[in-house]
Amino acid sequence: MPFSITIPRLGWSMEEGTFVRWLKKDGDVVRPGDAVFELEGEKAAQDIEAVDSGILSIPIDAPKPGSVVAVGAVIGFLVADGEAPPNAIKANSSASSSTAMSHAPSAAAIVETTPSRLAEREQAPAAAPSVRRLARERGVSLASLEGSGPSGRIMADDVRTTSTGKVTSMQTYSAKVASPRARRVANELGIDWRRLQGTGRDGRVRERDVRMAKPQSHSSSGSTVVPVSSRRRTIANRMISSREQTAPVTITTHIDATNLVGLRAQFKQAASGSLIPSYSDIIMKLVSLALRQHPLLAARSEGDQWVIPSMSDGLHIGLAVDTEGGLVVPVVRDVGSIGLFELAKQTVALIEKSRAGTLGVSEMQEGVFTITNLGSFGIDAFTPIINLPETAVLGLGRIRREPVVVDDKIVARDQLTLSLTFDHRIVDGAPAAKFLQTVSQAIENPSAWLLRSDG
Amino acid sequence: MTNQDMAKTCLGLYRKMQVIRQTEEELARCHQRGLIHGACHTYVGEEAIASAVCSHLRTEDVVFSTHRGHGHALAKGLPPKELMAELFGRQTGCSRGRGGSMHLFSPEVGMMGTSGIVGPCILQACGGGYSFKLMKTDNVAVAFFGDGAVNNGAFHEGLNMASIWKLPVLFVCENNQFATEVPFAYSAGNPSVGSRGIAYGMPGLTVDGNDALELHRVASEAVAKARAGGGPTLIECVTYRTRAHAEGMGDFTYRTREDVEEWKKRCPIQRLRTRAIEHGAVTAAEFDAVDHEIKGLVDEARKFAESSPWPEAASATQFAYSEEPVSSKVPVQNHKPTSGREITMTQATHEALSEEMAKNPGIFVMGEGIGQRGGNFKTTTGLFDLYGPARLCDTPICERGFVGLACGAGMTGTRPVIDFMFADFVLDSVGEIVNQIAKIQYMSSGRLKMPVLLRGCIGIGHSAATHHSGNYYAMYAQIPGLTVVVPSSPYDAKGLFKRALNSNDPVIFLEHREILSVKGPVPETEYEIEFGKAAIVRPGRDVTVVALARMVHLTLSVCDELEKEGISVELVDPRTVLPLDIETILQSVKKTGRLLVVDEGFAPCGFAVDVAAQVADRGFNDLDAPIKRINGAFTPTPYSPPLEQAVVPQAETISRAIRELMRE
Repeated sequence: MPFSITIPRLGWSMEEGTFVRWLKKDGDVVRPGDAVFELEGEKAAQDIEAVDSGILSIPIDAPKPGSVVAVGAVIGFLVADGEAPPNAIKANSSASSSTAMSHAPSAAAIVETTPSRLAEREQAPAAAPSVRRLARERGVSLASLEGSGPSGRIMADDVRTTSTGKVTSMQTYSAKVASPRARRVANELGIDWRRLQGTGRDGRVRERDVRMAKPQSHSSSGSTVVPVSSRRRTIANRMISSREQTAPVTITTHIDATNLVGLRAQFKQAASGSLIPSYSDIIMKLVSLALRQHPLLAARSEGDQWVIPSMSDGLHIGLAVDTEGGLVVPVVRDVGSIGLFELAKQTVALIEKSRAGTLGVSEMQEGVFTITNLGSFGIDAFTPIINLPETAVLGLGRIRREPVVVDDKIVARDQLTLSLTFDHRIVDGAPAAKFLQTVSQAIENPSAWLLRSDG
Repeated sequence: MTNQDMAKTCLGLYRKMQVIRQTEEELARCHQRGLIHGACHTYVGEEAIASAVCSHLRTEDVVFSTHRGHGHALAKGLPPKELMAELFGRQTGCSRGRGGSMHLFSPEVGMMGTSGIVGPCILQACGGGYSFKLMKTDNVAVAFFGDGAVNNGAFHEGLNMASIWKLPVLFVCENNQFATEVPFAYSAGNPSVGSRGIAYGMPGLTVDGNDALELHRVASEAVAKARAGGGPTLIECVTYRTRAHAEGMGDFTYRTREDVEEWKKRCPIQRLRTRAIEHGAVTAAEFDAVDHEIKGLVDEARKFAESSPWPEAASATQFAYSEEPVSSKVPVQNHKPTSGREITMTQATHEALSEEMAKNPGIFVMGEGIGQRGGNFKTTTGLFDLYGPARLCDTPICERGFVGLACGAGMTGTRPVIDFMFADFVLDSVGEIVNQIAKIQYMSSGRLKMPVLLRGCIGIGHSAATHHSGNYYAMYAQIPGLTVVVPSSPYDAKGLFKRALNSNDPVIFLEHREILSVKGPVPETEYEIEFGKAAIVRPGRDVTVVALARMVHLTLSVCDELEKEGISVELVDPRTVLPLDIETILQSVKKTGRLLVVDEGFAPCGFAVDVAAQVADRGFNDLDAPIKRINGAFTPTPYSPPLEQAVVPQAETISRAIRELMRE
């Protein structure tokens, strides 16, 4: 059997070389160590020596000088004396050089698949990922566009031009983002997260948004779907934030409001048709006086710090107002330094604006304390929620005449329950209780406290 | 020598040389035919050296070799068929297809590996010698290396260590006059290798490397001396390779055809044959019979190799780590007790080391000042008095040297503990760790173990500045074969240290210097912690924080404050960076939906990146917010306290990041 003469690898990474010329003629006797042919590798041309001996047989389809040859390719044979020389490589190479070629198939496989992949790519128009996203958001099919960029690449402007005029609900509908977890939970609960208002960074829909949303109702159940208004959403978020970010404790006390009722009756008598301060107004003023003695209850948490307002001014107190659209808390400015009638004027104006929906954002900001009154609904005690970033909120119950024991006699007196919720992160129980005690004393003797104040 | 002895010696040497020559000539043919897939460096012309030296070696003696190592392997007893099959990339190869020409392993016959890197074989032979000395055997270790290795630091460090500890090692320099293609005459200030022995306090000889009989005599004396406890010998053998540096490479750009032809005439095989026949010891017919027999052997070998199966592709990663279970019988307790005796992290690892040294006489510690002094960080206090200088071995300042030695010791049956003091110091030896220690088990298809524990301090603090403060765990965690431990508590440190001392794999044990004296509960009973098991340091609900070492303590310090704000943190400490317990982290993120990784190390391609990428991949649908990372600043560590503080994550940085993450 003839020895095959193969193209050796010169250096580590050579895959093909240039056949330069034969150094022996067809029919020459070749011994091991004889240079047989010249091959140009990556670095330089080199004489290739024979490792076997025999008579050189150069087949008719052997590479011509200058042709590129693959490593491992058979280019000729060494035959024994008298042995018939193979006349072509193709017919003979499979037997004698199959092993030499055996490490090539992976490369061949790649070559085969490449054209079909290219063809696939040619069908899909070229566009940057950001352009693809834009097209998705605007509902534009890339395939329908003529690209104006280099090599026909579709540019953002191509997409914009096409979609002008029909950037309607489609854009707002799908431009929303949700966290992967929110998507998963929405899927599990059968909720369309795209309909939700996100509370995360830049409106990202988070898991909590999904869990707070009700699953879409089925038509057979007969219940109605109430769209969640943005104000409702704001209220919900503020309530949740307060629950999550504070350590709320509510304490209640039952106090005598007979003098408060009497004072208001006096105002009524004296008013003769003009504005009469409400119980809330009077209590708000009294609370501002109590806060001067307990400034910590007026602290606002700002960033990582708690800021206690100056007691001469800046005592802005919020008043919870129930409206059709939900709860709002307008803030009365400088409660500590304005008179009771001025205060009453302001609250009336703020309540009107609240109900009319014309309250400005600045009119709800910078409060240091909030008062909320559920007395008119017959509620005595409740657990108000702290209005962030404030420290405490005072809930007022109804005023009711009740039999009480005074000097061992049962008499009828006006009674009121106060509910104070405070943030235990900032204030401990005892100082909060002392504050409530001060407020109670002020409400039980309102005339004396109001007279003592300069305002 | 009697004629009969002479005949026996000559035929023995001739046979060994012919096995090498004929096998390599067949390899050259096979290379041209494309049967050899990678590099093939032949030993043609140099056969006398391996043949003469190895004829004095027993199976238990060990040989560490070079990239031109076919001859050493065959002379030490590797059958030609296993060599050929390896170069053909077959399952029956001596390294099961994992090595090729430059990574031939056959520990069964004492062939401890050829190597693609010049130098490490010198240090590994020192390690073999150290093992033999520690185990009180009379075995010897031999390093074969070329002239290219003698101007490398490994030569200097290795010869010095062998000299000061009188190790039973032969350093055999095959001076073939070219380091690849750079002439030795050009690259050596002192071109006499043999004369360098005196610089290290050991005998150094220069011998004609093509004179098999003279080499045989010299090697005999050197081996006998080493066996008798007389210490190492350096032998320079002047020789020449008559084929190109590697098959397929051109030869005449740096030397002439005439030079090569001249040296071919000095062929050691022909020379021995002629001399033996002239001497009347052996007849030409006897030699011809040997030639014929070996031709048959080599033909058989090629057929065997060609018909051998390829390795299973699915087994490509097998043997990167030991498949044998750890040897200890101590119970595994992955979870920390909440109370009990409190000790520091240093005391915890000291206890682990003491307990294991008492049980296993193969454990020895090497490092600077770990002997009588007891270690810079009191890692070995009191142990020198118990176990003496061989098991608590102070070293010269030559990190590459003693880490390379540890590799050889691990391969030959002992268990080195290398104490770097500062992990920064070991960067000089990273090649020994990455190229040798990490890869030996794989290259030897699991037949060699690598039970080496490498420990040192990491971490920024106390103005240690940039050569005493690096965090290198991410770098090592990119190396298959290593285990990387970064403990944060005394309990974890002890359990993981004991695990490491019973593992067959090399372990990099990195101790953050700023938490060495932090106390914590450690039970008095023995226990181990498995690698790749994270600890939930603090359970929580809202956000998962993954942290290591000191960052665990910093994170823990802000958890209570955050809890008051309503943010419940789950703190996970992986404890080992490699293997990484991603499952526990994923479980945690499944619960919390949020992930922050706090990593004192650098950000690019680092620990936090890996955790983040794996969670983004496998935990995508559990994420309710983007994954966030905190890393040390990407800069060398500054000295001045305000600068230093600015490059390390602080407690406030962590709490702020957690709050921010809650708002995402």
